[in-house]
Amino acid sequence: MAFLTLDKLTKKFGTHLAVDGLSLEVEKGEFIALLGPSGCGKTTTLQMIAGFVDPTAGAIRLEGRDLLAIKPAKRGLGIVFQSYALFPHMTVAENVAFGLEMQGVAATERAKRVAETLELVGLGAFAARFPRQMSGGQQQRVALARALVIRPNILLLDEPLSNLDAKLREEMQIELRQIQRTVGTTTILVTHDQAEAMALSDRIVVMNQGRAEQIGPPHEAYERPATPFVANFLGKTNLVNGTTVRPEKISFSTSGLAGKVRTRIFQGNHWLYQIDTDSGLVTVIRQNTGETMPAEGAVVHLVWAPSP
Amino acid sequence: MSKNGPLALAYHTLFVTFMLAPILVVCWVAFTPEGFLSFPTDNWSLRWFYAIARYPEFVSAFWRSLWLGALSSAIAVAVSVPAALAIARYRFPGREAMTTLFMSPLMIPHIVLGIAFLRFFTQIGLGGTFVGLVLAHIVIVLPFALRLTLASAIGLDRAIEHAAVSLGASEWVVLRRITLPLVLPGLASGWALAFINSFDEVTMTVFIAAPGTETLPVRMFLYIQDNIDPLVTSVSACVIAITVAALVVMDRAYGLEKLLVGRGVDGR
Repeated sequence: MAFLTLDKLTKKFGTHLAVDGLSLEVEKGEFIALLGPSGCGKTTTLQMIAGFVDPTAGAIRLEGRDLLAIKPAKRGLGIVFQSYALFPHMTVAENVAFGLEMQGVAATERAKRVAETLELVGLGAFAARFPRQMSGGQQQRVALARALVIRPNILLLDEPLSNLDAKLREEMQIELRQIQRTVGTTTILVTHDQAEAMALSDRIVVMNQGRAEQIGPPHEAYERPATPFVANFLGKTNLVNGTTVRPEKISFSTSGLAGKVRTRIFQGNHWLYQIDTDSGLVTVIRQNTGETMPAEGAVVHLVWAPSP
Repeated sequence: MSKNGPLALAYHTLFVTFMLAPILVVCWVAFTPEGFLSFPTDNWSLRWFYAIARYPEFVSAFWRSLWLGALSSAIAVAVSVPAALAIARYRFPGREAMTTLFMSPLMIPHIVLGIAFLRFFTQIGLGGTFVGLVLAHIVIVLPFALRLTLASAIGLDRAIEHAAVSLGASEWVVLRRITLPLVLPGLASGWALAFINSFDEVTMTVFIAAPGTETLPVRMFLYIQDNIDPLVTSVSACVIAITVAALVVMDRAYGLEKLLVGRGVDGR
């Protein structure tokens, strides 16, 4: 039996079908990403698990128990919100201690676990600060510590990194993954960022218009997308003679599909090419190995291995 | 910060003078030794300040005004909290009507309210009572209390309350530990503004106050109908002094801008 089961979960807002019969089985300790564009139903799904939105139909079971029969305050879930939603009138330590206080954990035990958890997220020295005195990244860690300290059944992350700048986001991705591996909490991440979903999760649920288009490991979804929507959402694709091929799978050769370089863009670790061919415009990504690359206007030949 | 040009500076000077002049004149006249309102005056005297002691009804009216303002504002704020939370969060039938109803005392002339309350209170036996004064003042200060409470309720991030719920807090705990502390600046501002309006009110109160329940402005209003001596100016000067002292204390303790603008704890 799966740890968490979503069974034909459905939510209607008026006539709009926000989530349309979503079924998903999550194993204990797994990191799942709900990925999709805005309005695909991923946040609504998260809110139904959290208990802030009631499903129109379907069931949610946690270790076989009906989760929908349990009040949101009793579900024992840790949630990290997009806006962090820290308590602005409480210090970092008070924020993190709040959940333990609600559980009736004794003061000494509480202080110990707050200190441990702040240490885990690298904020041991910040316990006495107020949220407003901290950077976005630090606030994000406080929110994570506050959710983790109660040893939640499930950790729900609602676009947790989208308010951070690109460099910090990458660092936090690595850290978030390490922390999740350390504590082993079953985690569900909601995101519209395919790189984030692929970097963090064991399995991706690609959602579109309230339905799961594909559920599987990131590498599998990327290499063998079930639908054109999944292929496009997970990365750049070319449609050449009826087959889809990823730009980084195409290389230059002496023979093959002939074309002329329309634009060439240097992006540091790789080159991005747009090439006019008889089969239409083809995007090619080549790693920057330091070699001289074809310039704009050059005639090139493209080859690629058939997709599996 | 950009500097003011000469024209703007002149305008600001004029404006501030215009605002402050009546207050300064009243304070000045309060120090006259004459038996009538004289301005300017050459000699100084505390005669009219000592005179207040001979009119204990001014002192008791002052305390009554203070209690009336404090009490009616506190009740108005207490009523505003659930109303503001409901209006800010939910869409329900009658929401617009409720908002308009709460705001309507702003639009009705106080003299009309005064006549209405006089009639109504006499009918139900509250005529000339302190309870009647409190009830009438709750009605006129409610819009001020609600306006500022509503502003801070609208500015509250629902996710913060959801976070508390997810951590196991019951609805009551969320209200007490999260919601109320976060809207507190709005409540304090709403209370302050309501208090000022209650303390200042004379048009309506003059109808419903009786000898023994007169507020300070009513007492002063009635006094100047029969007398031309400068007693009211020395009373005014005392009130102004107390107000300035209170503002200084509040500014030191809390920040006046925060109080009157209703800014939240984290600057939102």
